[in-house]
Amino acid sequence: MSDEDEVPVVKKARIFYGSLEEKEKLRLSREGISSTAKDAVKAGIEAGHINISSGESMEMEERVKRRERLRNILSVVGPDALKKSKKEDEKAKRTQDEYQQTWYHEGPSSLKEARIWLAKYSLPRAVERLDAARAQKEIPESTRTVKQQELHKTLRNVNNFCSQIGDDRPISHCQFSPNSELLVTASWSGLCKLWKVPGCTLIRTLRGHNTNVGAISFHPQATLTLEESDVNMASCAADGSVKLWSLDSDEPVADIEGHSMRVARVAWHPSGRFLGTTCYDNSWRLWDLEAQEEILHQEGHSKGVHDLHFHPDGSLAGTGGLDAFARVWDLRTGRCIMFLEGHHQEIYSINFSPNGFHVATGSGDNTCRVWDLRHRRCMYTIPAHENLVSSVKFQPNDGHFLLTGAYDNTAKVWTHPGWSPLKTLAGHEGKVMGLDLSPNGQLIATCSYDRTFKLWMAE
Amino acid sequence: MSLPKREVDELRPWVERTVKKVLGFSEPTVVTAALHCVGKGLDKRKTTDQLRPFLDDSASSFVERLFEALEESRNSRGNRAAGEKNRKRELKEVFGDEMEGVKGGDSVESVVKKKRVPRFEEVEEPPVLPGPPTESPGMLTKMQIKQMMEAATRQIEERKKQLSFVTPGPIMQSIAPSQAANFMNDAIEKARKAAELQAKIQSTLAMKPGILGALGNTGPHNLVALANLHAMGIAPPKVEPREVTKPTPLILDELGRTVDASGKEVELTHRMPTLKANIRAVKREQFRQQLKEKPSDDLESTSYFDSRVAINSAQRAKRGFRFHEQGRFEKIAQRIRTKAQLEKLQMEIAQAAKKTGIQASTKLALIAPKKELGEGEIPHIEWWDSYILPSHIELISENRQRVEMHGVTNLVEHPIQMAPPVDTDKPVTLGVYLTKKEQKKLRRQTRREAQKELQEKVRLGLMPPPEPKVRISNLMRVLGTEAVQDPTKVEAHVRAQMAKRQKAHEEANAARKLTAEQRKEKKVKKLKEDLSHGVHIAVYRIRNLHNPAKKFKVEANANQLYLTGTVVLHKDVNIVVVEGGPKAQKKFKRLMLNRIKWDEPNSKRDDSDDEGSRKYNKCTLVWEGTAKERSYGEVKFKQCPTESMAREHFKKHGTEHYWDLALSQSVLETTDD
Repeated sequence: MSDEDEVPVVKKARIFYGSLEEKEKLRLSREGISSTAKDAVKAGIEAGHINISSGESMEMEERVKRRERLRNILSVVGPDALKKSKKEDEKAKRTQDEYQQTWYHEGPSSLKEARIWLAKYSLPRAVERLDAARAQKEIPESTRTVKQQELHKTLRNVNNFCSQIGDDRPISHCQFSPNSELLVTASWSGLCKLWKVPGCTLIRTLRGHNTNVGAISFHPQATLTLEESDVNMASCAADGSVKLWSLDSDEPVADIEGHSMRVARVAWHPSGRFLGTTCYDNSWRLWDLEAQEEILHQEGHSKGVHDLHFHPDGSLAGTGGLDAFARVWDLRTGRCIMFLEGHHQEIYSINFSPNGFHVATGSGDNTCRVWDLRHRRCMYTIPAHENLVSSVKFQPNDGHFLLTGAYDNTAKVWTHPGWSPLKTLAGHEGKVMGLDLSPNGQLIATCSYDRTFKLWMAE
Repeated sequence: MSLPKREVDELRPWVERTVKKVLGFSEPTVVTAALHCVGKGLDKRKTTDQLRPFLDDSASSFVERLFEALEESRNSRGNRAAGEKNRKRELKEVFGDEMEGVKGGDSVESVVKKKRVPRFEEVEEPPVLPGPPTESPGMLTKMQIKQMMEAATRQIEERKKQLSFVTPGPIMQSIAPSQAANFMNDAIEKARKAAELQAKIQSTLAMKPGILGALGNTGPHNLVALANLHAMGIAPPKVEPREVTKPTPLILDELGRTVDASGKEVELTHRMPTLKANIRAVKREQFRQQLKEKPSDDLESTSYFDSRVAINSAQRAKRGFRFHEQGRFEKIAQRIRTKAQLEKLQMEIAQAAKKTGIQASTKLALIAPKKELGEGEIPHIEWWDSYILPSHIELISENRQRVEMHGVTNLVEHPIQMAPPVDTDKPVTLGVYLTKKEQKKLRRQTRREAQKELQEKVRLGLMPPPEPKVRISNLMRVLGTEAVQDPTKVEAHVRAQMAKRQKAHEEANAARKLTAEQRKEKKVKKLKEDLSHGVHIAVYRIRNLHNPAKKFKVEANANQLYLTGTVVLHKDVNIVVVEGGPKAQKKFKRLMLNRIKWDEPNSKRDDSDDEGSRKYNKCTLVWEGTAKERSYGEVKFKQCPTESMAREHFKKHGTEHYWDLALSQSVLETTDD
């Protein structure tokens, strides 16, 4: 189901008073039709593109009159109309209909295997998570409150710890390694860089992309259990290339091909077996790295898909698109289980809370929304920033606060739940394009259009 | 009631004229006698009696006219009398101490009298009123007024009769009817005024019975005062100079008494040599009398006098020592000291809290909205997981591998693709904007073509050829022979054509012009922006928005820019929410953040506003963004005394997050300070 052969919608020229186009039209209508055009017109009439007669008395009409009318119509419709074939028209109509209803097609058999694997992977994790949540609830209220206040206190004291020029082009994305000792940044120059934190010393420059790199992401087990030579990172670029990297080389280990348009994000499934990519061809893909193939090409957004995040259990995936909607997909059944409707402009960021049932989305309407998966509703709208919210992240361990970065050059820390502003991380001179929290909870990293990335730490 | 000398002098020329009219020749004796009567304050009947010997039949009519003239002159002098009164009041104040002893209880009565006696009644009352003379004029009843009216009409009728029968002179006859009418009107007017005045006084008295309690016994005192006046002989000295200036023939009877022309006794003043001391004593006495009399003289102003208004006594009361209680200042000092101590303590605590960072978070915890959502129950299994699991299967580790998954297939879903709420990627077509040169060229071409078409039509005979276009300059060329034959006519023709052309041109312009309404619509259309792509929203927070001028600015600008929204006033968190197009928002933002000087003093008289809060007054942009549609109507102000009320107001419009954010920002701001 690709739309490659679909003809783009014909741009209808707008006519302005006194424009040259109008003059041209007049001229055309005066000149009359050349003999070749006549044939084309005939064809057009047959094809049903050009509707000459409004009614019945075609036979009765005089020849002269008919020609006159044809001339007028042609001058309005333009010669392009003749070229459009009936076939193409029908096809466009068919695809339009397809969008208006839910339908299924059968995927490869490997898809079913993968889904069963995912189910078996995610169900015990869900049980564990719920058990942990229950245990957490056993802790008396006061202890929790004290802990919460301690956390808020430290967050109030978060300050800029260091700033480093990362590249000579804007830095679009940054991520901490799972052991919190490395930071990887992606730049529009096509280079990705690996930094030692908190020292901010450059370890390696990853060369491979030729255009803007949209995102680079660590494997969930990288630096923990994985070997250095294994695939530890994945990155994507605006030309549709997705590359896999190891930690010991500055060359990509492998390329993933199959995207024809910009790939905005790559995200690892918590199991590390699957890689998700979002593409601006209105789809997102799921790649099985063990089988080294694309197991799912998922449509559903009416515009490009920008961000993707996997549920901590590994059971769900959330995607946010430029159509201002976010969708939550069940990876096991392949169905869209929740449609997040409420934003007014593009969604640039989506993030699951570690508690498993909260989702945050950041949008171009300058708000951040928090959704409740259990009740399937929007819990709260945070009027977060004064420009589009480019990234949203929950604290990765217990989800007690929320971080938003935006194009108003700031990042903000919000309590969760409660959503009151705790701290504004101001200091960047350009738009904040990406941010991350270290898994050990010590550091916050933000990267910006001003070509720097900054580390923030509680004093 | 005697008249002052000046007044009498004023009357003199008129009296002379009238006497001349009545008798046909001037008679100083009559004039003097008449003035004497008037000066003495005799009533009409007496005056008539006095003058009868001189004037015979016409005496009564003469007296009538005399009295009217008198009254007129008095009325005209009303203002002057008031001026005099003021002067005298000052005098009274100066001599207040001295006077008080003399007047004592009298003062109240005189005030009352002043109030109640309208001047004109003095004149009319005595001859006709049958009521007892002791009755105070203030006690005028309606009956009396009626009687007065009747008397007046009767008089007039009498006069008419007299005029018709007696006809004293040709001049009189012609004037009389109109005069009679005047008199009647006057009388009626006066009676009405009197009634009104009296009613007013009565009502005020009825309302405040305590104020003028001693009203009942005013009459006799009053009379006593009057009698005193006469007894003291104040009036004669006033009349005296007139007699001196115009000597009258001295007539003596057999007893050696001075008599007038009619043979009645006339009392002449006798000048006797006396000591200076005696003169002074008399003068002092007179002066005192005058002082006492004064209030009764200025009767007109009495209605403006309010006895309830306290007049400061001229002398200051003696000031005694006032000692503070012992220990009073010690107490105050102690209080201040404790307060300072408490403040210091609080400051320390706040400092400590700030150091540890507790304050902000506790405050934040305080403002955090009560979790109506709550954590909820933690489910046994998430609903999306339960979907794939067959029911009632326990997730125990042993059977994990054997569980058959429900609904796990290899089908790929293609859900309905929802169109985005705002379709922003419609092809944007820019207009073809021509350069100046191109525009000109285009115009030239179109005009040329239109002209050609016209010419074509003319050539084919479809249209009559246009009239040759003539100007003054080409007149000779176009209308050669005709111009030579009759230049004037041709010129007129040319000018007419020119005027016609001009008119056609102007009419075409006027037709193109938009009407006032259309122009207005156009302006509004320009201001109202296309909001199909969503409305832009801005939320501002102001510390102090009590200044009405600033409130007005906010509201007026929002309305003029067609912004909707709300303004919530709550202590030091005042929130302005506006929704509208991007351009309007840009202008409004400039207004709020740049143009209005929030920290300038409200106004000169508003100094009570404490310095601190004003100094730090400022406006901050809390948030700006977009939404699908407006959530508010026209900008309205809402006063919210409590936070919950404010939040409720926002929640009603589905925008409680604006309030939450603004409130927590303000809390954080105060802790940061």
